[in-house]
Amino acid sequence: MKRKALSLVMAAALLAATLAGCGGGGAAPSGGGSSDGAYKAALLLAGTLGDKSFWDSANEGLAALKAESGGAFDYKVEQMGAGAADQANYEPTILDYCADGEYDVIITGSFTMLDALVSAIEQFPDQKFIFFDETFDFAANGNPGNVYNILFKQNEVSYLVGAEAAMMSQTGAICFLGGMSGKVINDFLVGYIQGAKDARPDVKVAVSMVGNYEDSAKGKDLSLAMFNAGADSGFNVAGSAGMGLIEAAKETGKLAFGVDSDQAALLPDYAANIPTSALKNVGAALRIALKQDMEGSLAYGTQDYFGFAEGGVCLVKDAHYEEMVPEEIRLAVDDLENKITSGEIEVYSSSTMSTAEIDALKASVALQ
Amino acid sequence: MLRLFLSPDFLIAILRSTTPILFATLAAGVAAKAGICNMALEGIMLFSALFGVIFSNLTGSWLAALLLTCVCGGIIGLVLAFFVLNLKTDEILAAIAINLTATGGTVLLLLAFSGDRGSSTFPTVSAPAFGGVNIMTVLSLIMVAVMHLFLYKTPLGLQIRSVGENKNAAESVGIKSIRIQYIALILSGVLCACGGYFLSGGYMNSFTKNMQSGRGFIALAASEMGANTPVGGFLVAMLFGVAQAVGNQLQLTSIPVELIQMIPYATTLIGLAVFSYIVRKRKEKLANG
Repeated sequence: MKRKALSLVMAAALLAATLAGCGGGGAAPSGGGSSDGAYKAALLLAGTLGDKSFWDSANEGLAALKAESGGAFDYKVEQMGAGAADQANYEPTILDYCADGEYDVIITGSFTMLDALVSAIEQFPDQKFIFFDETFDFAANGNPGNVYNILFKQNEVSYLVGAEAAMMSQTGAICFLGGMSGKVINDFLVGYIQGAKDARPDVKVAVSMVGNYEDSAKGKDLSLAMFNAGADSGFNVAGSAGMGLIEAAKETGKLAFGVDSDQAALLPDYAANIPTSALKNVGAALRIALKQDMEGSLAYGTQDYFGFAEGGVCLVKDAHYEEMVPEEIRLAVDDLENKITSGEIEVYSSSTMSTAEIDALKASVALQ
Repeated sequence: MLRLFLSPDFLIAILRSTTPILFATLAAGVAAKAGICNMALEGIMLFSALFGVIFSNLTGSWLAALLLTCVCGGIIGLVLAFFVLNLKTDEILAAIAINLTATGGTVLLLLAFSGDRGSSTFPTVSAPAFGGVNIMTVLSLIMVAVMHLFLYKTPLGLQIRSVGENKNAAESVGIKSIRIQYIALILSGVLCACGGYFLSGGYMNSFTKNMQSGRGFIALAASEMGANTPVGGFLVAMLFGVAQAVGNQLQLTSIPVELIQMIPYATTLIGLAVFSYIVRKRKEKLANG
C-alpha cells in the first residue's frame, strides 16, 4: 500500500515536470502598471516565446506599439504552450480572459486556436477578437461582428523564393519540402512554382511532403532523393522537419532557403547554404490593426490579407544575402517584388485554386 | 525511375531508415522476452537523440558521446524497471510518463544548451560513415547476431526467456526474476539509446524536437511481428525501411502524396495480418494434430 502511494507520488512528480517543461506554466505579464483608461490587449500564444519566429514577432510588434504609444496602449502575454497536454487549456484560458472583461481586444492565432476561439466568440459576443494566420470562416460561424481576421500572403514571398531559387540553380531543377499538404503549405507551393516558372520558363520543380512537421530525418531522406534526382536548390516549409532539407543541402553542397525565421542567422554552421529566408511579419500586421482599432476604424467582421504592400511578409536582405546572391539576381528579385507590390504581377493563391488546378500546376513542372 | 531504385544511394537510404528502427526493435524484443512491454522506447529514443548531440559537443568525440548516451539510456531503463518492478506501477503508465517527460524535458534541456526551442544550433561530431554507410548501421546489424546469441546461447539469455515465459516457474527453480527483468530493461534502454543516438548523430547531424516521430512505436509493432526474436525483428524492421525508402522515391512521381505516405503503415498492417494468419494456422495444426 505504502509502495503504491509512493509510486503514485512519483508518477505525479514526473507529470508535473513534463507540464513545466512544455512551458504550460502560468502567465507572463509584460510590463504592467498600465495607467487607467489605456487601451488593453491580451495576446494569447498557442506556443511559447523564444521561438525566434512567429510568437516572438507578435510579441515584438505589441512591445513596439506600447513603447511608442506613451501609455495609451498596454498588453499582457499569456504563453499557453503548444504540447498536446497544453491544448486542452486553450479554451478555458480564452474564456477566462473574456470573462475578465478588462481587455479591449483579445489577440490569438494559428489553426490550433480556432475551436477555442469559435466557442469564445459565441459566449462573449461583446468581446472583440483579432485572429491571425488562419482563415476564420465568417459565413460558417454566423457572421460574427466581433472578429477581425489577419491573413498573410505567404504566396507572395514564396514567389520571390521560387524565382530566386530558379535563377541560382545550375541544373535548372529546384525542389520544395513541405510539411503536410494543406492550405497554407499549398499557398507557399503555388507561389513558389509560379515564381520559378516566371524566372525560368523551362524550370523543373520536385515536390515532397514529410507528412508531419517534426520528422527531420525523413525530411532529410526526401531532400536527398530530390537532390539526387537533379535539383540543386530547395525551399523548406516543414517546421522543424525542414531542418532535414538544410542538412541535406549542406552535405551535398546545394542551396536551402529558410522560412519563418532568419535561418541563416539562427544556424551559423549552415549559413553558407542558406541564401535567405522568407518571413511573415506578424508583429507589423498586428501593429497596423491595433492602431486602427485605437482610432475606432478597424473593420471587425472582415478579413485582410497582409502581403508585401502591407509589410506583412518579407525576404531577409542582409549582408549575408548580398554576399551569397549575385547582384543581377538581387536586382531581378527586387524588381519582381516591386511588380507584386504594384499589382502588376498577381501571385496564384491556393485559396482561389481547386485541387485539380494545383495538381496541374505541379504537373507542368514535374521532373519526370 | 528504375534507375533510381537500382542506385547505391537507394540501398543506402534503406539501411539508413532501417537503422534506428532496428535498434529500437531489438530493444523491444529483449524487454518482451523478459515479459515486459517497453512502451517507453519513444521517450528513451528522444532523450538519447538530445544526449548524443550534447555529449558530442562536450567531449568532441562521437565514441565518447555514444557510450555516455548508452549509459543514460540504461539509466532510463533502470528508472522504468524501478517503477514497474519495485513500485508495481502499471508498465504502460510508467512508460507514458517517461515519454511525456521526454517531450517536455528535451525542449527544456535544448533551450538551456542552445538557447533555441526547435533545434540544436551548436556543432556536433557525428558517427563516421564509410562509403555512405554509417558505422552505427553496421553496429545495428552486428547487434542482431549478438542479441540472437545472447538470448539463445547464454545462461542469462535462457533465464530472461524463462522469466518472460513463466515468472513463477522460473522463480521455483531459484531464478531471481526481478533481477533478470532489471537486466533486460537496462539492456533494452541501452539498445534503444543507440537508435536515438544515430537519429541525431549520423542520420541527421543535429537534434530537432520530437525527431523520433513514432519510430519507437513502429519498433514495438515490428518486434511483435517478428515474434520478439532478434532475427524476426530485423526482417520486419528491414521491410519497414524498404517501404519508407520506396515511399520517399515515389514522391518524385505524380502519384498522390497521401497514398504514398500510407505505404509504410499499410505494409506494416498487411504484414501483421499475414503474421497473425500464419500463427493461427499453426495453432490450428497443433490442435488438430
